[in-house]
Amino acid sequence: MFTIGKLAGLTDLTTETLRYYEQEGLIVPDAKSDAGYRLYRPESVQRVGFIRQAQQCGFTLADIRELLALRTDEAACCGDVRRLAIEKKLQIEGKIRVMKAMSRALDALIHDCSEAGHPVVECPILAALEKSSAMAP
Amino acid sequence: MKVELFYSPGCGRCTDAQNDLKVATLAIVRDLEWRELNVIEELDYAVELGVLTLPAIAIDGELVFTSLPTKGQLCAALSDRRPGGA
Repeated sequence: MFTIGKLAGLTDLTTETLRYYEQEGLIVPDAKSDAGYRLYRPESVQRVGFIRQAQQCGFTLADIRELLALRTDEAACCGDVRRLAIEKKLQIEGKIRVMKAMSRALDALIHDCSEAGHPVVECPILAALEKSSAMAP
Repeated sequence: MKVELFYSPGCGRCTDAQNDLKVATLAIVRDLEWRELNVIEELDYAVELGVLTLPAIAIDGELVFTSLPTKGQLCAALSDRRPGGA
């Protein structure tokens, strides 16, 4: 069995992060030592690796909790996991679309401000932002 | 009117529920175009409509249901969108 410090070292995480994972219901200590310290089985390294990998793919901790539950749900099928992955992709693609629109808006502002030597009071970027904030509800 | 159902293939339970919904709705609403879209094949369109969860239903190009509705809910939504309302 590993202590939380050992598990943190093996997974390149801090003990605070592991405690947060526990608070979020993602990991549970397998036992406690006589002194009351959390103890984890070696399989916990794999579970923490799963959580980190899923986070890197954009899954939130709530999503990961669902994925972990599906992993042990005998009634679940691969299609359930696939659906979650597709939903995550839809969210990411939606964000990319918004970011691209923001990038295009910035392109237009940058294009309008071709005179970098203008005094700041004549800055077309600031003027455009001012104008759009005045138009906002 | 056009109903577009976005789905993720591979879920047997979802397919059964979708078929029940389709049969019930087509029986009640006349002149209805029912399309079933594999979200992976229609990803851009799904993103354009704002689909984030599956299954989802759009009516006449507007995302209306972000999960599978009951037959009553879908029929009511279709009825609301008919010219002249319900």
